[in-house]
Amino acid sequence: MTSQLDRPAPTEGSTGGLIVNGAPCTLLGIRANATALDWLRDRGLTGAKEGCAEGECGACAVLVARPDGDDRTRWTAINACLVPAASLDGQEIVTAEGLGSPTALHPTQYEMAVRGGSQCGYCTPGFVCSMAAEYYRADRVAAEIAPDEQERDHEHGPNGFDLHALSGNLCRCTGYRPIRDAAYALGHPDPADPLAERLTRPAPPPQRTHVAAPDGEFNRPATLPEALALLAEHPDAVLVAGSTDWGVEVNIRGTRAAHALAIDRLPELRTVEVDDTVIELGAALSLSEIERLLAGRVPLLAALFPQFASRLIRNGATLGGNLGTGSPIGDAPPALLALEASVVLASVAGDREVPLADYFTGYRQSVRHPGELIRAIRIPLPLAGITAFHKIAKRRFDDISSVAIAYAVDVTDGVVTRARIGLGGVAATPLRAIATEAALEGRPWDRATVQEAAAVLRREGTPLDDHRASAAYRSAMLGTSLLKLYAQPADPGRQEADA
Amino acid sequence: MTTTTPAPAIRPAAPSRPRPHAPESGPWVGRPVDRRDGPTKTTGTATFSAEYQLPDLAHGWLVHAPIARARITAIDDAAARAHPGVLTVLSHLNTPRLKPSPARPSLLDMSTMVGGTRVDYLGTDEVFFDGQPVAVVVAESLEAAQYAASLVQVDYAPLPATIDFAAAAAAGRATPVKQSLGMPTLVGSVGDADAALGRAAHVVDLHFTTPGHNHNALEPHATTAVWDGDRVTVWDATQGIDWFRKHLALRFDVPVESVRVIAPFVGGGFGGKGSVWAGTLLTVLAARVTGRPVRMALSREAVNRVVGGRTPTRQRVALGADADGRLTSVIHEAVLRNSPVGGGPEQVVGASGDLYASPHVRLVTSMVTLDLVPNTFMRAPGESTGSFGLESAVDQLAHDLGVDPLELRLRNEPETSALHHRAFSHRRIRELLHVGAEAFGWADRTPGGRRDGSQLVGHGLALAYHPAWEFPANVTLLLRRDGTALLRCGFQEMGMGTATVQAQVVADALGIPFDAVHVDYGDSDLPIAPNAGGSTQSASIAAAVLRSAAKLRRAVSQLHQRPGESLAQTLTRVGRDVEVSVGSDVGVGAAATSVRFIATTLLNQRRWVRAASGAHFCEVRVDADTGEVRVTRWVGAFDIGTVLNAKTAASQLRGGIVMGLGLALTEETVVDGRTGRIMNAGLAEYHVPTHADVPHIDIHLLDDPDPTMPLGVLGAGEVGITGVGAAIANAVFDATGRRVTDLPLTLDRVAP
Ligand SMILES: Cc1cc2nc3c(=O)[nH]c(=O)nc-3n(C[C@H](O)[C@H](O)[C@H](O)COP(=O)(O)OP(=O)(O)OC[C@H]3O[C@@H](n4cnc5c(N)ncnc54)[C@H](O)[C@@H]3O)c2cc1C
Ligand code: FES
Ligand code: FES
Repeated sequence: MTSQLDRPAPTEGSTGGLIVNGAPCTLLGIRANATALDWLRDRGLTGAKEGCAEGECGACAVLVARPDGDDRTRWTAINACLVPAASLDGQEIVTAEGLGSPTALHPTQYEMAVRGGSQCGYCTPGFVCSMAAEYYRADRVAAEIAPDEQERDHEHGPNGFDLHALSGNLCRCTGYRPIRDAAYALGHPDPADPLAERLTRPAPPPQRTHVAAPDGEFNRPATLPEALALLAEHPDAVLVAGSTDWGVEVNIRGTRAAHALAIDRLPELRTVEVDDTVIELGAALSLSEIERLLAGRVPLLAALFPQFASRLIRNGATLGGNLGTGSPIGDAPPALLALEASVVLASVAGDREVPLADYFTGYRQSVRHPGELIRAIRIPLPLAGITAFHKIAKRRFDDISSVAIAYAVDVTDGVVTRARIGLGGVAATPLRAIATEAALEGRPWDRATVQEAAAVLRREGTPLDDHRASAAYRSAMLGTSLLKLYAQPADPGRQEADA
Repeated sequence: MTTTTPAPAIRPAAPSRPRPHAPESGPWVGRPVDRRDGPTKTTGTATFSAEYQLPDLAHGWLVHAPIARARITAIDDAAARAHPGVLTVLSHLNTPRLKPSPARPSLLDMSTMVGGTRVDYLGTDEVFFDGQPVAVVVAESLEAAQYAASLVQVDYAPLPATIDFAAAAAAGRATPVKQSLGMPTLVGSVGDADAALGRAAHVVDLHFTTPGHNHNALEPHATTAVWDGDRVTVWDATQGIDWFRKHLALRFDVPVESVRVIAPFVGGGFGGKGSVWAGTLLTVLAARVTGRPVRMALSREAVNRVVGGRTPTRQRVALGADADGRLTSVIHEAVLRNSPVGGGPEQVVGASGDLYASPHVRLVTSMVTLDLVPNTFMRAPGESTGSFGLESAVDQLAHDLGVDPLELRLRNEPETSALHHRAFSHRRIRELLHVGAEAFGWADRTPGGRRDGSQLVGHGLALAYHPAWEFPANVTLLLRRDGTALLRCGFQEMGMGTATVQAQVVADALGIPFDAVHVDYGDSDLPIAPNAGGSTQSASIAAAVLRSAAKLRRAVSQLHQRPGESLAQTLTRVGRDVEVSVGSDVGVGAAATSVRFIATTLLNQRRWVRAASGAHFCEVRVDADTGEVRVTRWVGAFDIGTVLNAKTAASQLRGGIVMGLGLALTEETVVDGRTGRIMNAGLAEYHVPTHADVPHIDIHLLDDPDPTMPLGVLGAGEVGITGVGAAIANAVFDATGRRVTDLPLTLDRVAP
C-alpha cells in the first residue's frame, strides 16, 4: 500500500479512466487538483459551464451514474466545478452534449427549446442535466393535480416532477417560469432509451485510484482498512468526501492538498443501520441518499434536508464532511446535537465514539486526532416527540444559515421531560442551548414556560454580527423560534397542556 | 496496482422528438415562434467567448490591488516568472501603454461612451479602486497563471480614499449634475415645487436608499484575442460589437478595420457587458505582447471587482396633494455616485417628470465621487431604483388620504408630461391599471392586509415606466431566386431572441416563410448593429430591416415584376439574386448616419415623450415572527407597443420582474466602508433570486403599436424591472403597516 503514495514520478499513477457520454476517456496526465469541470472543458466538452466555481449556480451540472441500491443505477446530477476529476475515475458521466444533439434533441432539451427555457443559454446545459436526472428518476410517477391545485403547488408537476431537482440551478434571464413549464411537460422515458435502460444495471463499482502529479497526489483506497493505513502514514492528508466544501477551498481560496484521500465511496462508510436503540448513518452517504434511505424515519432530519443548500449540493455533501468542516453555521450539527448524536471516529487503532456535544472544541476545531476519520454518526432511539428545524437565512433556499435552531422535545402529561436544543450561528462552534433546555425541563409545556424559556434562549451564545444579519436580529430570532415551535400545529404532546 | 472494472458503455439517448419548428405561413410577427438557437443552447453546443479552441492558446489571470487608493512602490514578480509554464508577468513596469480612453463621451461617436473606466491599466503606478488589475500573468495553462498570480508581490503606498457612500451623501458632499442635451432626464423644474409643497393640503416627504447592485449575468466576462501583425481578432462577451471594436481600435492605435470582434452568443449582460472593462483590454494587450492567442475568463469574483455595478442611491421624494388627492407638487432628489476614473449619473428621477400630472415639479440629481470601481448601467438604469422611491411615496399618499392607490393614480393621470409639457406618443396607463386590476382581482383584496395563521398577507401596486430609444442600425438583405433570404447584421444573441425576431420581421416584409430566412450575426465583419442596451435593439434593427425590405421591393420592381408575382417569383423568372444595404459603416455615409441620428433623436424628443409602461400587482406573505417576505402572486400588464414575439417578450418581462424581486428582497453589493473591498463578490453572498423565490407571474400585453416607433415597438427588456421594488414594498406595507424605505427588504428590516 505504502508504495502508492511514495511513488515519486510526476503525473503518474493508476487510473482506469472514465466513460464520458458513452465513450471511454483516459485520466492519464491530469492534475490531482483539477476539477471535473476544467477537465471536461479542456477536452472541448464546453457544455458544462463555469458561472461561479463554488457550487452556487449549477451551470456546471453533469450526470453521474450512482448506485441506487445494490443492483440499480440512478442518474445523479452533481456540480462538476466542485469535484476533482480524479474522483470520477471509473465512473460514467453524461453531459448536455451526451444527452442529445441539435438535430436529435433529448426530451429535456426539446422541452427547454420549445418553451423558451433558454434565453442567453449559459445556464441551460446545467438545467438540462438537473432536469434529466429527475426525468430518469425511477420512482417519479405522474399525479393527478387539479389545475387550481397546480397554481398553488409550485413544487410538483402533474408528471411527478419534483421542482427541488432544479434548486441548485440559477438563471438570470428567464424568470424560471419557462424552465418550470419545460420540466412539467416532460413525459416518461422510453424503456429503450439507453440512459433509462442503464438504470436497470448496477452503477460502476468503486475502485482504487491513484494520481501522482506535480500539484499533489490523489488517492482513492478501496476499503476502510486501506484508507486508515494511508491516513496513519500521512496524517496531514486531506480527506475528501462529497468535496462540496473542499471544492470551494480549491477554487476560491486557491488551497491545494499535497495528499488528497477520497473516502466518499468506501463501502464501510455508506450504510444505514437501524436497531432498537440506535440509528447509525454512514459518514460518506450523500445527504440525498440519507434522505431516501431514512424516508422520514427521523423527522428532524427530514425537516432539515430540504433547507440544506440545493439538490445538486445534497447529491454530493455528506454528514462526515459537514462535521469535518466544523463550520459554526453548518446545518447538520445543530440537528444532530438536538438528537444527542455521537460521532464514531475510526483509525488504525480502532473505533471510538464521542458525543457530538463534546466533539467541537473551538472555531473549526474538534477532538478528532490526525489519523482519524469520521466513520459514522449514531442517533440514539427513541426519538423525541416534538422536533423542528428552523433555519433563518437571507434567501429562502440555497443559502447558508444566519441562525439555525434544532429542537427535540419530549412532553409527558403536559410536562417537558426532556428538551434538547442545538444552535448554529451563535458562537464559534455549534452548541447546545443548555440554559434554555433547563428552563424547559420539568416545567409544564405552556405559553408561560415557553415565553420564559424564549427569554433565556435569546441570551444563549454570542450571536455573530455580520453582513448576513445583526447580532440583535439573530438573538431576536432565537426567542421567536421557540414561540414558533410552540405554535407549531399538530403537536401531540401539547394538546392536553393547552386544553 | 489498480484494477479497473470496465463499465458497460452507454450511448446518448435516442431522439424522441423532432426539432422545434415554425408554422408554415405568415404573418410571423407577433407569433410565439420558437427561438432558433434553442437546439444549440440546450445541447451545450453554442460557443461562448471562453470556448473558442485556438492552437497555442495561452491563459491570462489578473492580479488585483487590495487597496482603494495607492501608489505602487514595488512589484516583485520573480517567483511568478519562475513558475513552470509562465510566459510573462505584465505590469506598469514593462508594458507598452495604451492610448488614453476618451475624456468626454460624445453622442457623435457612441464608442467613446463605452470605456468602463479611464484607468490607464498597466500604464500607471496609481491605484484608483480596490480590485483594479495591477498585473497580468500569462501562462501556458490556466492553473499556472492562477497560481503564479498569487506569487506576485506588490507593495503599495496608501493614499487617502473616500469610500463610504452613505457618509459622503449625508455629509452633503454631493455635486449637482447638469442636464445634457439628448440624454435621459436628470434635472428639471416646472413652477415652484417647494412653495407648492408648503401650501399643499397633504404632504408625503420620504427618504429612500437603495444599495449598489451587480449584474451577475450567469456568464462571467471572458475574452479570447489573437493578433496577426497589426490585425486582431477578439472573441468577447460583449453587448456592443461595433462600439467595442472602435474602442479597441482607439486604445490600441490601429485602424478600425484591423479589429474584428466576434460574439454570436453572450451569456447575459444586463449592462455589465456594455462597456469595455479591464478584462477585455488586458487580454488584447497580453496577446499583443506575447504574440500568442490569449484567453482570459474572469472568475466571478474578478467580474464583481473589475466591472462596475449599479450605483447606490439616496433619494428624497416629496409629494404635495390637494384635498382630492390631486398632486400639486412632485419633488424627487437623488444622490448617486461615480468615481474619479469613470461612471456617471443615471435617470433615477426621470420618470417622476412624466408619470403624474402636477403643476409643480422639481427633479435634482447629484453625485458623490468615491474611490471605487466606477458605476455603470444595469438593467433600467435609474428607473429601476427611482421608481422604488416615487411609487412608494405615491402609495403612502394614497394611504394617508384613505384612497385606493389605483384610484389615486387614475386621478393623477396626465394629459401631457408634467415636466416636459410634451405629448405622449402613446399612453395606455389607464388601460394597464384596469387590465391588471381585473386579472389580479385587485378589487377583491382586503385593504390593510389580512392574517393567515402566522402569515400577514398584503397586496401592492406600482407603475412601471421606461423611455423608448432608437439607434441607427445597418443591415444588408439578400433575396435569392430560390426564395430564401439572408439578413446580415452584427448584433449578438444575448438572450433576447434577436435573430429569431428579426427573421420574423424579414419573413413578413418579403412575404416568404420564416424558415426561408437566414440571419448572420455576431461579427463585426457584418453591418453595424447598435449596442444591446436601453431596450433599443429590436426596434432599431427592425426599422433597418423594414427600410431594406422596401428598398429590395423597389429593386425587384425594376426587374419587370409582373402583376401578382411575388418577389421571389420575379427573381426566379429573371434568374437573379438581389441584395440591398441600409446604412453605411464607414466614411461619409457613417458620418451622415450619426448626424442624422442626433438630429432625429433631438427632434423626436422635442415632439414626444415615448416610453414603455406597465402596472404591477402583487401579493406578499410576511412571516409575522421572522419578517421573511415571500412574494406569492404577480400580475404585470404592459404596454410595449407592438409585440413582435409573444414568447420572447413575455420572457423578457418576466426576467425583468424576477430581477426586480432580487432588487426588492435580496440583492445588495456590500462594500467594506473602510477598505473599499466588495464583501460579497460571488453568488454565494450576492443573492440573485432562485426558482423558489419566484411566484406565478401573469403577463398581459396590450399589443398596441406606438405610432412613432419603427414597427410600433417600444422595447421590453427593461420596463419589467421598474416598479417592482415599490410594488413589493407597498404590499409589505399593506400587510404589516411598516413602510420600509431602504432596500433590500431583508428580514431584519421587515421584522417587528
Ligand atoms: C453552494 C453550497 C451551499 C451549501 N449550503 C450549505 C447549507 O445550507 N448548510 C450547510 O451546513 N452546509 C452547506 N454547505 C457546505 C457543505 O456542503 C457541507 O458542509 C457538506 O456537508 C460537506 O460535505 P462534503 O462531503 O462535501 O465535504 P468535503 O468537502 O468532502 O469535506 C469537507 C471537510 O470535511 C472533512 N471530511 C470529510 N469527510 C470526513 C470524514 N468522514 N471524517 C473526517 N473529516 C471529513 C474534509 O477533510 C474537509 O476538510 C454548502 C456548500 C456549498 C458549496
Ligand atoms: S460553476 Fe457554479 S455551481 Fe459550478
Ligand atoms: S438563460 Fe441566461 S442565465 Fe438562464
